[in-house]
Amino acid sequence: MALNPSTLPARSFLYRELQKFGAVFGEVNGYASAMTVGADAAAEAAQARSLGLCDLSALKRIGFKGWATAEWLTSQGVTLEDAPNRVYPQGDGARVARLSKGEFVVLGDLEGRSTLPDRLGGAWSMASANGCFRVPREDASAWLTLTGAEGGAMFAKVCGVDLRPHKFPNNGIAQTSLARMNAIIMRADRGNTLAYDLVFDLASAVYLWGALLDAMAEFGGKPVGLDAIKALG
Amino acid sequence: MKIINCPLNGPRNAQEFVHGGEFVAMPDPHRSSDAEWSSFVFLENNTAGVVREWWCHVPTAYWFIAERDTIKDEFIRTYDPSEVFRERVEFAKPPAQGS
Repeated sequence: MALNPSTLPARSFLYRELQKFGAVFGEVNGYASAMTVGADAAAEAAQARSLGLCDLSALKRIGFKGWATAEWLTSQGVTLEDAPNRVYPQGDGARVARLSKGEFVVLGDLEGRSTLPDRLGGAWSMASANGCFRVPREDASAWLTLTGAEGGAMFAKVCGVDLRPHKFPNNGIAQTSLARMNAIIMRADRGNTLAYDLVFDLASAVYLWGALLDAMAEFGGKPVGLDAIKALG
Repeated sequence: MKIINCPLNGPRNAQEFVHGGEFVAMPDPHRSSDAEWSSFVFLENNTAGVVREWWCHVPTAYWFIAERDTIKDEFIRTYDPSEVFRERVEFAKPPAQGS
């Protein structure tokens, strides 16, 4: 039986938008999250390979910034390199995005296998991590993923940075203006499918959701559920 | 569209940046005269030629220094403030009040 999002204490801020597309909700990390959008799983997976937009805001994420953040993360077992605007995949499926010399976002994985975001959140304290401060990304930033081969062409309509796959490498980051909103765009291919993670101000999620779907319509893009993203691999 | 080369993010549309005023050394707030301090806070040199300025890339809230030719309206060079500020700027403690 489908879950009514209103029965959970936390739900995606996009749940009303997703309900308009007939989303079926499930529980992820205590959040009501759209598992499928539309009746046919095969058609939804094909949509994700062509052009799909999925709300990942139920997934774990946490941010840190400050002059000594890189040292603190390394001391916690995070693997990093010096170059900013790169995503560094960790062994357990989590990814650490280096936004600048001293600012990082830690992203959990789709299946919830990685314990890294929770572990870092538990290990951090003002007293123990000198020069490293917490950024409440889970409460401040929305997280969408845009998947499919048409993604590069679609972004040309809403973003000044060239995000086509031959210009913008996998695990690259562009912090820029997206549909006139400040956003962090990370290329995060899933299996053989081109994909971009979008992290941006949570309070503007309904605006950007609508703006992206409007830009995607020309290419036949539609919302997809978490199950379709998991099926990409 | 005018392009500005951000030291952190690379070339970006000028719309993504805001101008932060002239880059000038801050006088010691406790020892400068009122005239020196008000000149620092309120007055611009308004140089015709090559100037150094603060600029901010808004999506990353990243401040950097730019050398710009105000006659040709061209950016010559942009760089991270760490090229100038190699250590924390400290000022001496203010003189005791009433002494």
